[in-house]
Amino acid sequence: MSVFRTIKGKSAWIFAGLIALTLCSIVIAITFGPATIKPIAIFQCVFNECASPMHEMVLWQIRIPRVLVGLVAGMGLACAGAILQNVTRNPLADPYLFGIISGAGLGATIATLVLPEQQTLALPLAAFLGALFSVVIVFGIATLLRNMNHLLLTGVAVSFMLGSISHFILYLGDPFATNRVIFWLMGSLTRVEMFHFYLISAMVLITLLTIFALHRQIDALLLGDESAASLGVNVDKLRIILLALCAAVTATIVAYCGGIGFVGLMIPHIVRQLVGVTTMPLIIGSALVGGCFLVWVDVLARSALSNVEIPIGIITSAIGSIFFLAIMYRTRKTG
Amino acid sequence: MSNLLRVEALSWSVDKQVILNNISFDIDRGDIVGIIGPNGAGKTSLLKCLLNQYKNWQGSIKLKHKTLTQYKPHELAQIFALVGQNSPPIFDLKVYDVVRMGLLPYKALFASDSDADKKDIMLALAKVGLANSQAKFFNTLSGGEQQRVLIAKALVQKAKILVLDEPTNHLDIYYQHQILQLVKALNITVIMTIHDLNLAAQYCNRLLLLDKGHLISNNTVDQVLNPELLTKVFGLPCYRDDAQHCGVPRVYFYPAADVSSNQADDSSKGEVS
Repeated sequence: MSVFRTIKGKSAWIFAGLIALTLCSIVIAITFGPATIKPIAIFQCVFNECASPMHEMVLWQIRIPRVLVGLVAGMGLACAGAILQNVTRNPLADPYLFGIISGAGLGATIATLVLPEQQTLALPLAAFLGALFSVVIVFGIATLLRNMNHLLLTGVAVSFMLGSISHFILYLGDPFATNRVIFWLMGSLTRVEMFHFYLISAMVLITLLTIFALHRQIDALLLGDESAASLGVNVDKLRIILLALCAAVTATIVAYCGGIGFVGLMIPHIVRQLVGVTTMPLIIGSALVGGCFLVWVDVLARSALSNVEIPIGIITSAIGSIFFLAIMYRTRKTG
Repeated sequence: MSNLLRVEALSWSVDKQVILNNISFDIDRGDIVGIIGPNGAGKTSLLKCLLNQYKNWQGSIKLKHKTLTQYKPHELAQIFALVGQNSPPIFDLKVYDVVRMGLLPYKALFASDSDADKKDIMLALAKVGLANSQAKFFNTLSGGEQQRVLIAKALVQKAKILVLDEPTNHLDIYYQHQILQLVKALNITVIMTIHDLNLAAQYCNRLLLLDKGHLISNNTVDQVLNPELLTKVFGLPCYRDDAQHCGVPRVYFYPAADVSSNQADDSSKGEVS
C-alpha cells in the first residue's frame, strides 16, 4: 500500500522489530496458563490438527480469543489515545479522561439492575451506549463553551457526574449488582470469545483505515487550527469525525473488556520517542506497541498471583498513573 | 488590468459589533501589499475574510473573477498560503514534517509522498536557507528560522498569494529584514499585516491603512505615509523624514510630552559639552 511509503530508514527497522515482537508476544502469551502448551503445539493447532482435544478446547475457546482480544483492544486504545492527543492538542488526553469509562459504567449499572437476566447481551450494549452518551455530552458542552481546549476538563467533570450517578444507583440497589459492576469496571479479558475479537478488530480496522485516509489532515492540526484551515482542512468536521471514531472504538472495547485506562495515554508517548510525531508512523507504532503491551499485561494479570487473576484495569491504571506523573514532570522541566 | 483579487464593499461584524466596514480594494499580480493600522483596526480580520476562514462576511470578494465562496477549501489552499501566528506545536515536529504539510491541498486521501514531492520540500528548504535543518525540531529553532520554515511550507503549497500575519513580530532587526527580503525575492503576490510602518515602506509597493474597520487609504507607500493622516489614525504626532534612506520615506512618532523632555535633555547635554 503506497500509504506506507512515508516510513523509511531507521523507522523501517523499528517497525520490523515491533512486528516481530508482536508476533512473538502472541505466541508466547498463548503458552502461558495453568495447562502447559508448547509453541509447537500452537502451530500444530493453528495450521494443522491439534494434538489433543484438551489442547483444542483450551486454545480455541480460551487462550487464543483472550490473547487476540487483548491485542486488538490494546491497538484500539493506543490509537484512540494518539488521535485524541493530536486532535485536542493535549499530550495528556486519553479516552479514559473523556468520561467514556464512567459513561460505560453508568450504562452497565443500569443494565445490571434493569435486566439482570440478560447480562451477556444487555451489559455490553448498555455500556456502549453509556460511553457514547458521555462523549456526546462532553463534546456538546465543549462546543457550547466554544473552546476545544476545555474538552479534557469537561471530560473530567462529566466523568465525576456520571460516576456519582452510577454510585448512587448502586448504593440503593442490590449488593450483588454492585459487585458485578465494580468487577466489570476493573477490566478483564476473562470472559471474551472469538466473536468479540471479530467485532473489536473490525472497529479497529475501520479506525486505522480512516486515520490512514486522513493522515495529512491530522498532521496539519499539529500546527494549530488556523494553519490547518489555511491548508484546506475543515477543522470542525475533521475533529468531529475523529472524536466519534475514538469514542466508538473505545466504547466497543470497554463494552467487552471493561475499564482499561491509561493505555491510550502511555503508549503514544513512548511511540513518539521511537518513530516521531507524524500520524502514519505514530498510529502504526501505537497499534503495535499498544497491542503488545496489553497482551503482556494480561499475561501478568493471569500469572502474577498463583490462584487468582488480577483485573487488567488495575495493572494498567497502576502503571499509567505513575507514567502520567512522569510526563507532567518532564513537561514541567522542558517547557 | 487583470486583478488577481477584487474586494468590494466587504463588511464583517461579530455580535452586532462592526469589525470591517464597507472595504473595497484590488490586488494585482506581483503586488506586495501591506495592511497597516492600530491594534483593533481589523487587519487580521481582513486577512481571515480573504482566506474565507470567517464565514458570515458581506460584500463581494472575487479571486480570479470567481467569487471566493465558490472555491472548495483545497482549491483556496492552492491559491492562498498563510504564514500565520501559529500556536507552538505540542509535540516535537521536525522541520521536514512542517514543510511537508504544504503538500496537503494537492493530495488525495491515503496518498503518500512521491519522490518529486520530497524534492520539492528540499528545494523549498534550500530557498529559505535551511537546507541542512530538515531533521531539526521546529520548536528548537529561533523565531526567524521558524518563520522561514513556514515560508518554505507556503512554497511547497505552490500558492499564488502569500498571506503573512505580522511576519516580523518577536524578531530582531536582522531577522525582520531577512524575512521580508526573502518574501520580496520570491516574486509572488504578497498580502501582509505589519505593525512597523518603516519596514512596510521599505518592502511593500502598496499600503492599505485601516482604522476602526474602515479603509482610510489605499495607495502607494508615498501617499499613505502622510504625517497628517497617520497622526489622526494612530493618535500621536507623526513626522516624516524625506531624506530618502534607501529611496523610501521614513516616519516616526513623538508623543508631545516626550518632545519637550527630549529637547530639554539635548539642550542640557549641549551645555555640558
